[in-house]
Amino acid sequence: MRRLVEHALGAVFPTSAGIPGLERLDYGARLDEVLRGPPLMRLGLYAATLLFVLLPIWTVYTPLPSLLLSPSRLDRHANQLASSRIYLLRQLMLLLKTVGGLLWGADPEVRQALGLSPLGPDPGTFRGDELRVAAESPPRARR
Amino acid sequence: MSDYACDWRSYGHIAFQERGSVALEADYVVVGSGPGGSGAALVLARAGFEVCVVEAGPWRDPGDYPESMLGAMRDMMPDWGATVAVGDSIMPIVQAAVVGGGTVINSAIMVRTPDDVLADWRERHGLGDLFDERAMGLQHDAVDRELAVQRTPEGANFGSNNAMLLSALQRRQLGGKAILRNVVGCQGSSSCLQGCRAGAKQSANLGWLPEVIARGGTVISCARVDRVVFERGVAVGVRGRSRHPRTRVLGAAVDVRARRGVVIAASAVQTPLILQRSGIRLPALGRHWRVHPGAAVVGVYDHPVDMQRGATQGTASVHFRDGIAIQDGRPIAGTGENGIKIESLALPLELLAGRAAGAGQALIERLRDARHQAVWISAVRAEAEGTCRLGLFGQADVRYKPTQRDLRALRAGSHLLAALHFESGARLVRPGVVGLPAEIAPDQLPLLAEAPLDNRCWTWVLSHLFGGAVMGNDPQRSVVAPDLHVRGVRRLHVACAAALPTTLGVNPQHTILAVARILAERLANGA
Ligand SMILES: Cc1cc2nc3c(=O)[nH]c(=O)nc-3n(C[C@H](O)[C@H](O)[C@H](O)COP(=O)(O)OP(=O)(O)OC[C@H]3O[C@@H](n4cnc5c(N)ncnc54)[C@H](O)[C@@H]3O)c2cc1C
Ligand code: SF4
Repeated sequence: MRRLVEHALGAVFPTSAGIPGLERLDYGARLDEVLRGPPLMRLGLYAATLLFVLLPIWTVYTPLPSLLLSPSRLDRHANQLASSRIYLLRQLMLLLKTVGGLLWGADPEVRQALGLSPLGPDPGTFRGDELRVAAESPPRARR
Repeated sequence: MSDYACDWRSYGHIAFQERGSVALEADYVVVGSGPGGSGAALVLARAGFEVCVVEAGPWRDPGDYPESMLGAMRDMMPDWGATVAVGDSIMPIVQAAVVGGGTVINSAIMVRTPDDVLADWRERHGLGDLFDERAMGLQHDAVDRELAVQRTPEGANFGSNNAMLLSALQRRQLGGKAILRNVVGCQGSSSCLQGCRAGAKQSANLGWLPEVIARGGTVISCARVDRVVFERGVAVGVRGRSRHPRTRVLGAAVDVRARRGVVIAASAVQTPLILQRSGIRLPALGRHWRVHPGAAVVGVYDHPVDMQRGATQGTASVHFRDGIAIQDGRPIAGTGENGIKIESLALPLELLAGRAAGAGQALIERLRDARHQAVWISAVRAEAEGTCRLGLFGQADVRYKPTQRDLRALRAGSHLLAALHFESGARLVRPGVVGLPAEIAPDQLPLLAEAPLDNRCWTWVLSHLFGGAVMGNDPQRSVVAPDLHVRGVRRLHVACAAALPTTLGVNPQHTILAVARILAERLANGA
């Protein structure tokens, strides 16, 4: 399933004249985090991916899964789905776009290509965190 | 009293606990540490009471704050920001889940409660003089002093996105002003949503909660309260569970007994749920849930705007707070329609990418000019009322559907913002409305005035939330009586946005703070 998610995300954020697309970027660790996130988000992402893979017959009238489309058809398929008149489809695509946007927009290569400064780290630490405690060596808890 | 011993206790902060139980006793327990909870806790602590604040999120300091939006959603928001309101469309609800609550991720905008709101609370909701102009004014003055509220300087760190909206509003005399914020020495990093790493934003985790601790209080973080504990109709404490913020593993049971009272300040989404889980059955609980739904309009310019530099939000106007309509292509204020507030908002690339129309090459083309985009938003003073109830799996089940009048106000606001973009030199505008072209040129502006009045065609975001456990004198319509007790139980109070009986038409945190402080002062004075 993860491969399919990567395929769909890559089609939504493809490489384009001088700007790297998701398929060229190393975002695996961050995607892992997303997939470990809230179950509802994961389910939505999987549902969006499945529809993305199955619906070329409806968008570009081709009875093939999106994995087998030519690059230009795949691009048309992605754009048609994102602009669909059916609200639920649009919402599911919005979820794909949101997750893809979080991964693509934070990437240093993309940011450099667009003339934006790179982002710093996301430490994910907090007071009392073992990772921070190790650095600060505060008093240890005892029971 | 405590079966727990930990050296963190001596610092007044207890973080995630894996095993055993955390059992404490205090005069007051405050659940939630946003503006409502931290404001109430501080007043009680200053009055000499021992206060214990229980907060679901972790305590993050500026060095812990994320830089990316993915990090912000993961680290700062409940369930990665995946809470939604559902009506005939799905609208994301943006909130914080960290020590300091919304004060950590919000844009620090501080607007005093408008007098008409207070008159309405007095006259229609029977709140008497409790929150009159004088009482609220005193609180606002005190908060302004303590949090160094000041107008955003229009200097080097103001940012073009803000400066352009300010000029556009001033040219048309639409009441544009640099925003009042509780920020000292803003460095213009446009990243308030990720938390202010510069420490310029005066969020509650930096000042007020440390003071609560310094005055002998305790903050228990990473501890989600499940329910209030009652004995013979009196609230005597809360019960919850420690949860690791990274692994989400459940840890120690958390039990805090309150000698004098329990104050719930867990937001307009979570406060009604805690009361429901605690067995409170009141007709108004979970009802009268309101918001200021907002939507953005993007202008694309020939010159770089670089909204990633500047104050996240620096310019605003309340000119159309009492109503907006478009007549003959011009916006008219106070027309009997619903009002809006206009603001500039720097959206990070990651969010721009999710918002831009289309997918594939078409999407990337709309992001290629990211540096040339300016984002301005309108937030509607919506009249719709929704509900917030416990869902089947214990989650928040929020139902909300903006009315046609709300949509008309949003449409008028978007039309106005697009017009302002064009007057400021935008080459095209991306209205973000399904049913309209993804990009419109100046001569296509009239299309926006006719945009579909269908919620599913607009991308709303909900971040100003109100109600769910509102104050008032009508037992059928309110959860909190004018004496500020939750009806039918003793020593249980609400001190967050959930208690506000109406929307405000302005940013809410100053009002929430003032209301919470007034409640806490009354408790401190033995009410
Ligand atoms: C992105 C963003 C920008 C904003 N900008 C502004 C602005 O510039 N100016 C302004 O006035 N307003 C702004 N707002 C709105 C403002 O931040 C909120 O109205 C305000 O924070 C609400 O305060 P509160 O005390 O009701 O709840 P919150 O600030 O939401 O705090 C509630 C706290 O309770 C905790 N909690 C929830 N459930 C439990 C539980 N079961 N047990 C323990 N703890 C719990 C939460 O983790 C949270 O920390 C913004 C909001 C957002 C999301
Ligand atoms: S814009 Fe100013 S207040 Fe906001 S995070 Fe950046 S430095 Fe802090």
